[in-house]
Amino acid sequence: MKQPDELILAMQDGDEKAFSKLYTMYSEAMFGIIYSIVLDEGDAEEVMQDVFIKIWDNSQSYNVKKGRFFTWILNIARNTAIDKTRPKAYKNSKKNLSTTNFVDILATSDNLNKKTNAIGIKKYLAALKPACIKIIDFLIFKGYTQKDAAKEIDIPLGTLKTRNRKCMQDLKTIVLG
Amino acid sequence: MNAQELIESGNLELYVAGSLSAEEAKEVEDAIEQHPEVKEQVELIEDSVITLAEAVSPPLSALIWSQIVENINRVRSISERKPSTNWGAITGWAAAILALAGIFWMLKEKNDLQDRVRYTTTQNAVLEEKANKAESQLAEAEDVLDIVRSKEYNTYTLPGNQAVAPQSFAKVYLNKKDKIAYIDAKGLPEPPRGKVYQVWSLTMQPLTPTSVGLLDSYAESDTKLFRVDMGAVAATEAFGITLEPEGGSETPTMDQLYTLGKVTP
Repeated sequence: MKQPDELILAMQDGDEKAFSKLYTMYSEAMFGIIYSIVLDEGDAEEVMQDVFIKIWDNSQSYNVKKGRFFTWILNIARNTAIDKTRPKAYKNSKKNLSTTNFVDILATSDNLNKKTNAIGIKKYLAALKPACIKIIDFLIFKGYTQKDAAKEIDIPLGTLKTRNRKCMQDLKTIVLG
Repeated sequence: MNAQELIESGNLELYVAGSLSAEEAKEVEDAIEQHPEVKEQVELIEDSVITLAEAVSPPLSALIWSQIVENINRVRSISERKPSTNWGAITGWAAAILALAGIFWMLKEKNDLQDRVRYTTTQNAVLEEKANKAESQLAEAEDVLDIVRSKEYNTYTLPGNQAVAPQSFAKVYLNKKDKIAYIDAKGLPEPPRGKVYQVWSLTMQPLTPTSVGLLDSYAESDTKLFRVDMGAVAATEAFGITLEPEGGSETPTMDQLYTLGKVTP
């Protein structure tokens, strides 16, 4: 998907309609990320509101020429969600996050998201190597740094990078066909 | 790193995940600018992540969006609301200020009027006094006129003594029958402090001066016309006026003789 730069620029100019369209485009993915961290729907909804209010309020700090908009809001979502799960004293540490990952969520979820053909994804994700699930969970859902992720999985940094690439290719095949 | 190497490096995946260093991210951004295939790969990775994340998402309540909108509009309406002009309050204050100003103005007016009344009252008193004075002066002047016009009175001029006061003179209106004389001393200089004019009736053979009175309160007199009772004087041939110490003298001080004049029989 091409990044909707025009909508982003309009939102930065205070266009609420553009913001609304961006919400429609990214909200479900953000909610999935948030939920995978807070693991509570009520908390996830609160965080969701905070995240999009932050996106609106801080839209000027994003530059369409630098970084993906998705990556920018992904960071906001992860950090806000992590803040929600932690007592204040531990806020800056990403460690001790729940070990529940996206596959666990998909496995236990009763009302899977119809829109994204979650049922099919659920079936195929089982084929994803456990190492890949960990890597994707750490790097995408939990926002670990490469260093932290490598340390957590106990593999060298370089290995993490190439393994992550392979996992992501597998994922791409699963989710996009 | 060329485009293909970059694609295979695994950095694009980390770029989307947001876990590249600023330096490495910059490299990816430059490559995206230059190579459409890099951009395409980034978009594909992003799509995979989005689809996966969406699959994990519980159903999303529409309430969330409405609350976000409510929140940003509230913040916006607070931060963007121009300080509204409260015309009611402004009118109220303006009215209060006007009323106060009015009260002060009226107080001032009242004080001014009171001052004016006081001034006018004083002025009236002064005028009344003046009127009274003028009236009495007029009466006095009428009296003088009566005297001057009357055939009972003869008028004599006492010329100034060349040695003492050549410019001085005095007039005498004499009623021989009633033995009353009026001395018009207007032609005499004002007596110095502690001195007083004394009027003498004189008989010539031998020269006998008889005091007929002092022109005291000379300064206070407007007309400088003094009544002199001649009842004690047997005969008068001339009048002389001398300057004497206060209280008068027994005999005239001749070197202070101001005027002297004969009276026709």
